[in-house]
Amino acid sequence: MKFPADQNILIIVPAYNEEKSISSTLSQLSEIKEELPVIDVCVINDGSKDNTSKIVKQYPDVILIDLPLNLGIGGAVQTGYKYAHRHGYSIAIQFDADGQHSAEDLTKLIQPIMDGEADMVIGSRFVQKTSYKGSLARRIGIYYFYLILKALTKQSFTDPTSGYRAKNANVIKLFANHYPKDYPEPEVLIQLYKKGFKSKEVTVNMNDRQEGESSITPLKTIYYMGKVTLAIFMQKIVRSKTI
Amino acid sequence: MSITLVSFFIIFFFFLIVIESVRRGILETKYSILWIIVCIVLGVMSLATDFLEQMAYLLGVVYAPSLLFLFGLIASLILIFDLTRRISNLNSRLIALTQEYALFREESNKEMTKQEKENEQ
Repeated sequence: MKFPADQNILIIVPAYNEEKSISSTLSQLSEIKEELPVIDVCVINDGSKDNTSKIVKQYPDVILIDLPLNLGIGGAVQTGYKYAHRHGYSIAIQFDADGQHSAEDLTKLIQPIMDGEADMVIGSRFVQKTSYKGSLARRIGIYYFYLILKALTKQSFTDPTSGYRAKNANVIKLFANHYPKDYPEPEVLIQLYKKGFKSKEVTVNMNDRQEGESSITPLKTIYYMGKVTLAIFMQKIVRSKTI
Repeated sequence: MSITLVSFFIIFFFFLIVIESVRRGILETKYSILWIIVCIVLGVMSLATDFLEQMAYLLGVVYAPSLLFLFGLIASLILIFDLTRRISNLNSRLIALTQEYALFREESNKEMTKQEKENEQ
């Protein structure tokens, strides 16, 4: 894959207590960076209590942003968009630190943005059949959000909670200013729909989590789904600010 | 002493605390406004027995002073809601500030490493 010289890409890796998996994720991304030097990797350490920050410092090419407090996923990822916006990156990609996302799929996410087909590209486990299994509860949950988002946006998002996404400069600018704090992944879909941005899904492979705990434990699923549903509907009625 | 008078004294005492807090700079003036309004409204209502009786009659409330509790409750809800809004506002500011601080520190770290390298050469 060839990149025009004016394209530069930032990979945003939010990390909270990820000392066990962060280094394999960063090694994977460093390999990609060797092939594609236009890529920069930026880790947002969201106030981790473990050695995440120390481990990241061993990678001199990786940009490390240390948040002094734990802001939660929304606030952490937004820091990455602020960085991307200020340093003029044309594409930003969110990449999980826990080894769920595979770096090989990066080009698949980037291509539709380079071609101008979409403003945001979502890596989905469910467009085509992949090896991803996941628990039944999780798949039911994902289907439930699929139905709600379909009703609200008339678009199909087969994997609305996937955090593996690429965005172009316009979306980066929007996110640098306004990014949902609570459950950003599904909420963003509504936000972009309201602003008239185009989203597109591509198939990616995801591994089951390697280390660390998922932010969503099975016991909390129902509670989580209720809260996310509320957040999605709120996002729908929230007044859109102009930038 | 009747309940209306007791209510008035409690509210008046509270009003003094609010004013004193502002005077000592513990409570910001702009945050005291809602409290002062609530105190005045409740204070006047607890003294205006006739008005309270009439309202109670219109609303079908048997014991008029219980209306004071109703208004007190409404006022509390308004104050609590106002507080939650202010907390949300503070939270967004804190997030923005934390992000700015982290971005700034990254910038200054980069500068420092660059200078160290230059000094070595």
